[in-house]
Amino acid sequence: MNQKNLKTGGMLLLFFVKIGCFTFGGGWGILAQIEQEFIHKRNWITQEDLLELTAVGKSLPGIMIANISVLFGYQMAGWFGSLCCLVGITLPAVVILSLITLVYDAVKSNYWCWCALKGVSCAVVPIIGSAALSLGREALKTPRSVVLCLLALVLLLVGVGNLPLVVAGAAAALLWMGVKDLDLS
Amino acid sequence: MIYLELFFSFVRIGFTSFGGMSMVPLILEEMSTHGWMSAEDLTNLIAIAEMTPGPLGVNCATFAGTQTAGLLGGLAAVVGVLAPAYTLTLGAAVFFHRFRDSQVMTNIMSFVKPICISMILNVILTLSLENYLTESQMPDVLAIVIGLISCYLVLGRKWSVPKVIGSAAALGIVCFGFF
Repeated sequence: MNQKNLKTGGMLLLFFVKIGCFTFGGGWGILAQIEQEFIHKRNWITQEDLLELTAVGKSLPGIMIANISVLFGYQMAGWFGSLCCLVGITLPAVVILSLITLVYDAVKSNYWCWCALKGVSCAVVPIIGSAALSLGREALKTPRSVVLCLLALVLLLVGVGNLPLVVAGAAAALLWMGVKDLDLS
Repeated sequence: MIYLELFFSFVRIGFTSFGGMSMVPLILEEMSTHGWMSAEDLTNLIAIAEMTPGPLGVNCATFAGTQTAGLLGGLAAVVGVLAPAYTLTLGAAVFFHRFRDSQVMTNIMSFVKPICISMILNVILTLSLENYLTESQMPDVLAIVIGLISCYLVLGRKWSVPKVIGSAAALGIVCFGFF
């Protein structure tokens, strides 16, 4: 590892800790911050490159922004850069949530806090619903995906587990590709 | 060992979802099949993870892990949920130029994402039964009213999630505290 990667890595770590601390609203908010800092302010990466990273990061399983951070860090400063970005984006969340969990039981047993939490739990379904809507807008563009979604819902309602369903979906995708290849030849 | 169990649970969660809300159904399933958390705590988990900065998946993993087995448990869960990032994604980063043109993952995701949507819909159903019914299985009018107001704020008024959660907390104190 050379001196330059070490320095860039340290800088990436600090920047990702900073956005990890202050960005609400998950992945897309963080992506917007990366864009602002590294495209508009520092010119380290072009818009097109970042879009490409995003496309690949989105097509891999796991937390989208963690994937994008790893890809981005690698392009900037090799595997050390990846590590710095990944640790940076994760660290604030881990520290903040650990602290919250430590006081959670005490908070929950307080009557007024319990009332507030009960109110919040009523808002959770609409919040998940709106996330499902925006995800659905992106993921349910073709008739095939709508059919898949409905089929999966029926299977879930009769008691099929999440994990087997996702694995079956991935297998179906590979099978589908195989069938299409046969058609071409 | 609980730490290893948590780690592998979250490795499974990490590899079978694509971040954000799509992780919630898997976390709910893992937590309830292991008996690690109650449904009430899981609802609070989502609210807390949404109210705090950072990626939702990392927030959920930390809270679920710490709640189950202390700070080390939280760490085990986070390292688990990040497994795809430091294995698959790092591999993809090294071979980025070859990987970019590969259609395989894109194709798999185009099948998996619609399935994840149905998983989220299923969770909405489960949580609705949990949150909007009283213990005697009757509709909980106050809870439904707060739910409808939140729905209007988040979809109609396009309020940000932390703001909606704040208002719901205030409504909760007024409705459940005084009635």
